[in-house]
Amino acid sequence: MKVWIYIFFGIFFALLAFASWKSYRRNRSAEEFMLAGKSIGPILGFLTFSAALFSAFTFMGMPDFFRNHGIGAWTFLAFSDGIMVFFILWFGYLLRKKAKEHNFQGVAGLMVSSYGTRWAGVAMFASAFIFLIPYVAIQIRGISIFLEAAFPGLLPSWTWALIMVVMMLVYAEIGGLKAIVYSDAIQGLILLLVIWLIGSTCISAFGNVPDLFRAVEEVNAELLSTPGPNGLFSWQFLLGSMVAVVMIPVTQPQLTTRLVVVKDLASMRKMAYAVGIFAILVITPTIFIGMYGAAKYPGVPTSEFLSQALLFDQAAPVAALAIVGLFAACLSTTNAQIFALGNELRSLLTGDEKKAMRITRFSLFFFAAVVMVFSTLMSDELALLARVSFTGTAMMAPIVLMAVISGRKPAKEIILISSLALIIYLLSLAGVVPDHVGKLKLDLSLYLFLIVSVAAVTFIKKKIEKLPRLES
Amino acid sequence: MKRNKRSWRICTILVLVLVVLGYTPLMIPHGIYKPMIFGIPYSLWTSILVTVALVVLTYVGSKVHTGRDEGEEEA
Repeated sequence: MKVWIYIFFGIFFALLAFASWKSYRRNRSAEEFMLAGKSIGPILGFLTFSAALFSAFTFMGMPDFFRNHGIGAWTFLAFSDGIMVFFILWFGYLLRKKAKEHNFQGVAGLMVSSYGTRWAGVAMFASAFIFLIPYVAIQIRGISIFLEAAFPGLLPSWTWALIMVVMMLVYAEIGGLKAIVYSDAIQGLILLLVIWLIGSTCISAFGNVPDLFRAVEEVNAELLSTPGPNGLFSWQFLLGSMVAVVMIPVTQPQLTTRLVVVKDLASMRKMAYAVGIFAILVITPTIFIGMYGAAKYPGVPTSEFLSQALLFDQAAPVAALAIVGLFAACLSTTNAQIFALGNELRSLLTGDEKKAMRITRFSLFFFAAVVMVFSTLMSDELALLARVSFTGTAMMAPIVLMAVISGRKPAKEIILISSLALIIYLLSLAGVVPDHVGKLKLDLSLYLFLIVSVAAVTFIKKKIEKLPRLES
Repeated sequence: MKRNKRSWRICTILVLVLVVLGYTPLMIPHGIYKPMIFGIPYSLWTSILVTVALVVLTYVGSKVHTGRDEGEEEA
């Protein structure tokens, strides 16, 4: 297998070097470096969006989710993604319009100019920082599990993480967002190929799809329906997850930015349905891998299941490609997110552009270091950790949505309301606040609270604006 | 333009109907996995079908959405 690993890594690194060389320009502007000159075409656009969305979490988290909690995992992610891509048509159009009006540099910067207060940008940046760091750390954690299994005892996991982070920083530094977009495209294609190869092997191990599900039925029939054996996939969990997933393009800056940097609206629309097709194609084989695990490796720890199903039960070239594919997935997603955080920070900075870029570049190192530390503390529940990240950032969605929808300045109170919801959610994660309000899960309760209070504040603001002004 | 507006509205309504259906016992009945199609459990094949329908509606929506970039003419 090692020879195959060297061959595939060789090809992958050669492609990355080519992408860096194609993206590198001397004396490029900050916009060229951070936003790829806002000139990404539809094919690269959909591949970069898909790669930023589907990462190590899909490759490793989803099969494990299917294995432990059953077929409801499809509704959790794929069905929610189907809703999200339709939502992109509407939201992306309004976002691009707003971005043009305000000379978009980043979501945080856009919020500052839309609300007329720095607090809007600071709130967005803070939520992105709090929830993207663990999300990025999930990716690093994912690849560490895998590399440790592939090369037992060769290096401690933190060294693998360090290698990844250094590579990511060097690559981003050379090529900027354009290089990241190219690496996303490479990663997206590798991921799709390898996940289908593994999925097919998992089906053929049982003969065919009906036999695979029959085997699962014999082991644990509860996996074939919702809410699954542990009762996780209740309608409340699935509905809350859907809201969080649909809000990803609104609140996760690496994806919001990708809607803006696509060169025109027609490309963005093509990108939307192409992402939907990609979602179905990439999630379908994770069902088979998960069901294979449920029948063959029930109850074993995540790392053991993943290393068996994705590596040791595969033919050597497929296993080697899986390692390279996961490494690529991890590299590009991590890159996209760290870079997005840097861009968000830059959009908040004012004054000399060169100084702002210096601070931004330094911040990339800082974010990467924080991610590295976090990755050593992560648990193996990759999909659930990703859901926490999506839900956390979704609490800030009203800030962006109202800025994008409103023709006028939105009420500043929305910043306060969203921040309050975010704090309550954080307190619930810490166990200080209960995770249910009556029978309703806390995330759904908070979404209701956000809808009602944002509507009320907007209504009151409109009424006040209509009142005749007192003459002094 | 008017026809596109209507088509966009129809797409949006259909998506909303599918979203609501997706979280009712019709799609995710508690503990039921039959009837199976090609050996695939009930909730899985229904939700795969609905997801495909959502993507098709996104494709149709991308053709009929009336928004335009600045300076772009309607097709």
